[in-house]
Amino acid sequence: MPNSETDIADSPLPVQLSGASYIWQEKRGARDIDLSVRRSEVVTLLGPNGAGKSTILKMLSGEIAPQQGIVSIFGEPHGRDARRRIGLVLQEASTDDLMTVQETLQLHGQLFGLRGSELRRRCDQLLDALGLGDRTGDRCETLSGGLRRRLDIARALLHEPDLLLLDEPTLALDPDSSEAIWAALLDRVAAGVALVVCSNDTVEAETYAHRVVIVNDGRVVAEDTPRNLTSGLLPDALELDWPSATRDDIAELEGWTGVGTVLSTEDQLVLSVENSSEIVPQLFQRYGTQITGFRIRESSLREAWFQIVGRPLTNDHGAER
Amino acid sequence: MIDAAHASWALLSRDLRAVARSRSQLYSSLLFPLMLLALLGTGVSSGLAPTSPRILDGDYTSYLAPGMIAMTALFSSTFSSAGFYRDRESGLLRAMLASPHSAQTILFGKALGSILIGTIQALVVLLLAVLIPGIDLSWQFGWLGGVATVVITILALNFMLSGLSLLLAVRIKTMQGFHLIMNLVLFPLFFLSGAFFPLDEVPAWLEAIGYINPLTYAVDLLHYSSYADSPDGLIGPLIDGLVLGGLALLLFAVGLRRAPRAV
Repeated sequence: MPNSETDIADSPLPVQLSGASYIWQEKRGARDIDLSVRRSEVVTLLGPNGAGKSTILKMLSGEIAPQQGIVSIFGEPHGRDARRRIGLVLQEASTDDLMTVQETLQLHGQLFGLRGSELRRRCDQLLDALGLGDRTGDRCETLSGGLRRRLDIARALLHEPDLLLLDEPTLALDPDSSEAIWAALLDRVAAGVALVVCSNDTVEAETYAHRVVIVNDGRVVAEDTPRNLTSGLLPDALELDWPSATRDDIAELEGWTGVGTVLSTEDQLVLSVENSSEIVPQLFQRYGTQITGFRIRESSLREAWFQIVGRPLTNDHGAER
Repeated sequence: MIDAAHASWALLSRDLRAVARSRSQLYSSLLFPLMLLALLGTGVSSGLAPTSPRILDGDYTSYLAPGMIAMTALFSSTFSSAGFYRDRESGLLRAMLASPHSAQTILFGKALGSILIGTIQALVVLLLAVLIPGIDLSWQFGWLGGVATVVITILALNFMLSGLSLLLAVRIKTMQGFHLIMNLVLFPLFFLSGAFFPLDEVPAWLEAIGYINPLTYAVDLLHYSSYADSPDGLIGPLIDGLVLGGLALLLFAVGLRRAPRAV
């Protein structure tokens, strides 16, 4: 965690949304969103694709104005000054294949009023920090997905924003790239920058977020620290590889003493349990031939999501906007 | 204001670099009109021996040259405008629009790129047309004034096309859709602009369509300033200038005004 929660509480508010709504033509969107973000705070908007996270992010970035409610950035309505203080990372890597790494950053810097030696200094510093120092003259078409993402992050950090808005910044990246990106982001958080991250990755949210905002069907349904969100859960999560599990099996398991929620995904069941060492032998005694593998871990935001929303956190709710 | 100019310059430089690196676009924009001049010009001049008084000495290649200059501007401007879609699809446009500048500043910078590229390529074709021995341009009011008029005409034409592209880009979300509309609208307009045949010798209904076609006024001005040896039979620079300049200003201003921040 970048900073203590006490430090964060005393900081001013880079973001405040009050009753903000934006509904797209196809009726998706975000409804009646209240959200505030402090300096040095990492807030993750957690939800499946199509939940409304990106719509919230677009209201924060100023791409769309709320149809109802208020968006305020550092105490002001959205405008040129607010955009100057925001760094935005989109869901997809947004680079031009024909431009080089250096040109990509320089163009962005020029759009933010940076020039000359100051622009060069910042470019060099960020490219080195993000492991792109030896690729400055290469065209973006030669970069891997992970390196393109690092370039996106470098671009968002180049003008030294006070608020970073990131849409799935590490989606589908290798661990090295994810770590490099989070290291750069947390460095800025330590310096007072506020981060709003859209994600459906519960592990990442639990690892890096000070606060998790659970978004479902366009609404905020819960909001708290990861610790508080998971505090009411049974302590262990039991992941069972069990492709042949039936509804009757699940119903039976839910009735067992010491078993809380049972999440069913494609080939897996995830049981929230009081004490895994007691449940595992019972499971194998009853269903041993059907279960092909199992893992025990601590209960996480994934189970908290299920408990709050009533269905597993998957990405089968349609296209994200 | 200085910031906006700086941003526009940055976007313009980037688009110029992109075109310089996209060799196929560069070559096809230049080679296609030159190929038409060589093949269609020579073929019609020799095979059909046109007798219209507007085609001087039956030399169709020379008659075709101003039209090919306009066509180069048209094609390269359309190609460059397609860059808007490429940037939209790659997400780069969203990243640019997240900068402190207005959407108008960003799109103005991008439009400047397509205007300048279209103008430069058209002028390269003009230069080649001047250098090709078989092409005879009269420059009836002197080459200095003629070239200046050609440059202004090409600029106005590109401003008009750029404004049209901006308007279309707001409505049409895919590059395929944009090309389809541009082909459906621009090709017929270009055929009926006087670039391929004089409009005063076609049936009245065709001539009427020709005179409500904005491209006609650009091609007329190019013929007037570079090819024709007298003003006879041409619309003339006053009306050409008013129509072309007026439409260029109108379409460009409306196109920029409609520029959205969310793409």
